[in-house]
Amino acid sequence: MKYAIKQLSVFIENKAGELSDFTQVLSKNGISIKSILLADSTDFGLVRTIVDNPERAKAILEEEGFSVRFTNVFGVKIEDVVGSFDKVVTALAHENINIQYTYSFYEANIGIFIFSVEQNSFEEAIKILEKNSIEIVSASHFYA
Amino acid sequence: MTFSKNESLSSSNLKALQLSYLKETVLRVYHLVPFYKKKFEELGIKPSDINTLEDISKLPFTKKQDLRDNYPFGLFSVDMDQIVRIHSSSGTTGKPTVVGYTEHDMDIWAEVMGRVFTMGGLTCKDLLHNATGYGLFTGGLGFHSAAERMKIAVIPSSTGFTSRQLLLLRDFGATAITGTPSFALHLAEKAKAEGYDIKKDFKLKVGFFGAEPASEGLKNEIANIWGIDYIEVYGLSEIIGPGVASSCKHSHLLHVNEDHFYPEIIDPKTGEVLEDGERGELVVTTLTKQGLPIIRYRTGDITSITRVPCRCGRTLCRIESIVGRSDDMLVINGVNVFPSQIEHVLSKINDITINYQIIAQKKGYLDKLEIDIELSENFMSDDVNEFNQLKKKIEHELLNALYINVDVKLVAPRSIQRSEGKAIRVIDKRAN
Ligand SMILES: [Zn+2]
Repeated sequence: MKYAIKQLSVFIENKAGELSDFTQVLSKNGISIKSILLADSTDFGLVRTIVDNPERAKAILEEEGFSVRFTNVFGVKIEDVVGSFDKVVTALAHENINIQYTYSFYEANIGIFIFSVEQNSFEEAIKILEKNSIEIVSASHFYA
Repeated sequence: MTFSKNESLSSSNLKALQLSYLKETVLRVYHLVPFYKKKFEELGIKPSDINTLEDISKLPFTKKQDLRDNYPFGLFSVDMDQIVRIHSSSGTTGKPTVVGYTEHDMDIWAEVMGRVFTMGGLTCKDLLHNATGYGLFTGGLGFHSAAERMKIAVIPSSTGFTSRQLLLLRDFGATAITGTPSFALHLAEKAKAEGYDIKKDFKLKVGFFGAEPASEGLKNEIANIWGIDYIEVYGLSEIIGPGVASSCKHSHLLHVNEDHFYPEIIDPKTGEVLEDGERGELVVTTLTKQGLPIIRYRTGDITSITRVPCRCGRTLCRIESIVGRSDDMLVINGVNVFPSQIEHVLSKINDITINYQIIAQKKGYLDKLEIDIELSENFMSDDVNEFNQLKKKIEHELLNALYINVDVKLVAPRSIQRSEGKAIRVIDKRAN
């Protein structure tokens, strides 16, 4: 599971101050947020975040009363050519692997795409990408 | 078998009896209780205006506050030399309420409780383990005195000391028990923990439970664990104590001892008398009591009355188990809703807790109901759809069970404001 990044999914209510409460809990405890994605509904939000110390972040957040869950995601380095994102999507689609959601972020001038697939096809997805010579970022890259 | 022939009177005989008692009671309170005389005068009525049972709706209501205002003995209709027993409610808010019984009232209490015990099949051969609290509260002594009069052996165990209670239950071989449903469950848990084989070690065949609401599921659970018939006993001290109504072995509905306690169901908002089958607040008039006769007492309990004959042969009308308190009732677009009903629906759905908050608002002419529900601590998903499906499911269940359209909002565990440890259930933002 070298490539499985432990993404935290956190339930927050859609009201003023909830998101900042969440980020403050992390920063107060010296946890750095590498990436954050907010999935909205009208009533609540689902924060998906990659941090440098997921285990500690989960424990701290739960202590503060947040509902937290780990989801394995993987990251792919964005190559500086047109169609690099498409290459990943096509390779997975070819083997009937569903991408649930994807987002991207930059870190130290490197662009990274994060992908979430169904948890039971995670291993298979990694194999397919390796077969297609797509460079996957190892999870340890994100952790402090 | 019934205890008294009055339990199976024909409708016309019962009505005739009720009317003659009602007239007597009206005369009694008018002449002997200044509080009632004043109330009658304010309404411009005289005892002679009561000529049919329906005329009862002309009479004033009595509220718990009226008992408090006349603390301690102001509503008694006899002198203290006639009173043989006094009970009182704990006054957590304001003054306590005080009730007094004459010898005659004690006879009536024993009579109605005798009916209750007979519904459970008890005779003088039985042994009753009375695990209802003794003291100022009417429960313990209400069961106790009546059982003694029936020559049933009573064990006044009261509440608490669970281990010793189990020991006595086994060694004495009690055949019947009284108490609250939660105490019955607690006893069973303790019995299992202490290694008793419940069905072998105990000889219980029937239990008389009351004083707190119990769902159908809980009643069945208690009946199954102990292998007993579950008889629900309803009562309130202002009327007499336990024995106002009780269920028989044939149904979960409770027969009202209506030859002594005349029941009506009213709309708690308007005071208007409702038809049989409609849910509203139970109002009770004592027909035969002397010490503290009470006219149209607002019980605050929500139920409905049915006169469909019961298979047991008793003709006394029946009420549902109390479904809620009138203080908690919400009227949403004309539909009556009780928090207890919402709780019941939520308790059957996984992934959420029963910590919820109802927020009622006006949207134009319509009432809009939002329910915030705390998610279970174990439930978390990375999929927005899962939350939406859960929300839809709860909304669907509430619509099916209660005929109300609600907007469910899922909120984080422990996020609803608490008051003394309990979530604040209802916020009504509608201008009333
Ligand atoms: Zn019956």
